[in-house]
Amino acid sequence: MSVVLKDVVLPLADFALEVSVEMGARTTALYGRSGAGKTSLLEVIAGLRRPIHGEVAIHGRVVNDVPPRRRRVGYVPQDDALFPHLSVRQNITYGGALDRAVIDVLELAHLLDRGVKQLSGGERKRVALARALLSHPAVLLLDEPLSGVDAELRARVLEYLVRVRDEFPIPMIYVTHDAEEAAAICEEMVVLERGRVVERRALRG
Amino acid sequence: MSNEWQIVGLTLRTAALATILIVPPALAVAWLLARRRWRGKSLVETLVALPLVMPPVATGLILLELLGRRGPVGGWLHRVLGLDIVFTWRAVVAAMMVMSFPLLVRAARVAFEEVNPRFEQIARTLGATNARVFATITLPLAARGIISGMLLAFARAIGEFGATILVAGNIPGRTTTLSLAIYNLVQLGRDAEAFRLVAFTVAIAFAAVWIAELTTRRT
Amino acid sequence: MRLLLLIALTTRLAATEVRVFAAASLTDALQEIAAGYEQQTGDRVLFNFAASSTLARQIELGAPADVFLSADEAKMDALQKRGLIDVRTRARVLSNTLIIVGDGIRSSRDLVGRKLALAEPSTVPAGIYAKTWLVKTGLWAKVAPNVIPTDNVRAALAAVESGNVDAAIVYRTDTKRPAFVIRDGPLISYPFAVLTNAEQPLAARRFLAYARSEAALRVFRKHGFLIAERRRDDVVPR
Repeated sequence: MSVVLKDVVLPLADFALEVSVEMGARTTALYGRSGAGKTSLLEVIAGLRRPIHGEVAIHGRVVNDVPPRRRRVGYVPQDDALFPHLSVRQNITYGGALDRAVIDVLELAHLLDRGVKQLSGGERKRVALARALLSHPAVLLLDEPLSGVDAELRARVLEYLVRVRDEFPIPMIYVTHDAEEAAAICEEMVVLERGRVVERRALRG
Repeated sequence: MSNEWQIVGLTLRTAALATILIVPPALAVAWLLARRRWRGKSLVETLVALPLVMPPVATGLILLELLGRRGPVGGWLHRVLGLDIVFTWRAVVAAMMVMSFPLLVRAARVAFEEVNPRFEQIARTLGATNARVFATITLPLAARGIISGMLLAFARAIGEFGATILVAGNIPGRTTTLSLAIYNLVQLGRDAEAFRLVAFTVAIAFAAVWIAELTTRRT
Repeated sequence: MRLLLLIALTTRLAATEVRVFAAASLTDALQEIAAGYEQQTGDRVLFNFAASSTLARQIELGAPADVFLSADEAKMDALQKRGLIDVRTRARVLSNTLIIVGDGIRSSRDLVGRKLALAEPSTVPAGIYAKTWLVKTGLWAKVAPNVIPTDNVRAALAAVESGNVDAAIVYRTDTKRPAFVIRDGPLISYPFAVLTNAEQPLAARRFLAYARSEAALRVFRKHGFLIAERRRDDVVPR
């Protein structure tokens, strides 16, 4: 089981996140409307927010008291959060050395020495992905990877995501509010509504 | 007069040293104020701001008590290291440090607060220790604001008078800074020479603040 | 006649304020003298105590003052040259002695190698007297690198009392502590005068006369001041 949450409670603005769920598939979609608490859930798994109750386990290890830097999660936030003062190369190698495989799959070789301000939206997504991958994570957390990408590029970025899923055997938790997107990539779907898991089902993916 | 250059030199050296010395503690305090909350935080904020609002001579008197040969700090230094602070250039630096500290803390705090915490969080998930996050993410992104703050602190140090005259006295060649020298010359009725030193002071302060403004503006 | 009486009465009733600029070393004695004066005349005395050089500068710049009590002739001369004092009232009244305050000072040679506080030796009378003596005894060159100049003589005393300097040269009248008395120092002279721009010239003269009276001289003596002998050249203005 990649990620297990037991009786996790995190108070949010209007309601509380109350979740007990096991996510063990290769790719799990975390699906729900905006404001359902999906991002907060990712942050709990990553260690960026502490639940007031409950247990978080990654690959069988309880990580409640483990700081983010030792949880080995690769977190790709919704806004990419690429370090603006570092080049592409410096960004992606921040957590680990360059790996040709990752560069090739995401086709970043020609972008390595660019500044991040010169990148297009789609390129930014790829760089953020590469950065997370190169830190050798035990689980990948992707927060709405296709948000902010225009329609024409969506297909292309989706392609890259599929490639990453196929080339690298790292379990992914994929947050989205788009059911089609979820179906294109993920094997399982967990539906979150107002902080609670209301449904689980298998997908094709 | 070569004397004038000596005074300018002393002023620049002591102000530069004072500015450099306050950087580590000021950044530490600014970071804590920007990123952490704790009981008694507002007490710390107020204490740090005190030298900004208190009359400089009052601050100077407190420093005199602390750093004099019979004071808690000065006494220890005198007994253990044979070092005197009061009435030496060290007191000039000390007075400048105390008066400039709140300015740098203020500027650095704003600079740290303007760094998106997101970046620091991501850096942590990528395996960076707190120290590495600070050195590679927080500090570089806050650098512009911090440098601007340092320039303001430097300008303030150049202009320091009230605390300095109490704690360092007015010893020609050793503690006579630009402001003290101007005061002396006015006392002696040598206004023309006093105005020459005023011109130096204005030029230096102008340059420091100008560069500070330029540094902040280039966003 | 009744008018004159009325004027005399009203000037008495409306308490006159006399502004006295006086050398710092005269602080304690003058405050005592002023108390007696205020009781006797109903006037109020407002003091400005500072180094005579500072006071002279302030007077030159137009600070409101009625009487100037200086610690050396040079400051009074400077004001006289600019016509700022009423020469008819100028008189040398007091003298003083220099002492060296500091632990373990048994002779003038003990000053060498020690931090010495002096009132600014280029302008303040106490400092000028001290430097004159140090030059005369050949000590100035050796002592100068360790001199801490202060704004006035009381500040020099405070510096040595705080322990931040090892010694200070001040007036005998500044402290009752045992100290090394300088017997071969320069002649110290305190001239007093009423200022030409005095707002209250009558009250100023009254105060000056009181400050030279036996009652006041007794107080000065009590505080350790020497009374200047009346010399013939005191009367002739320069």
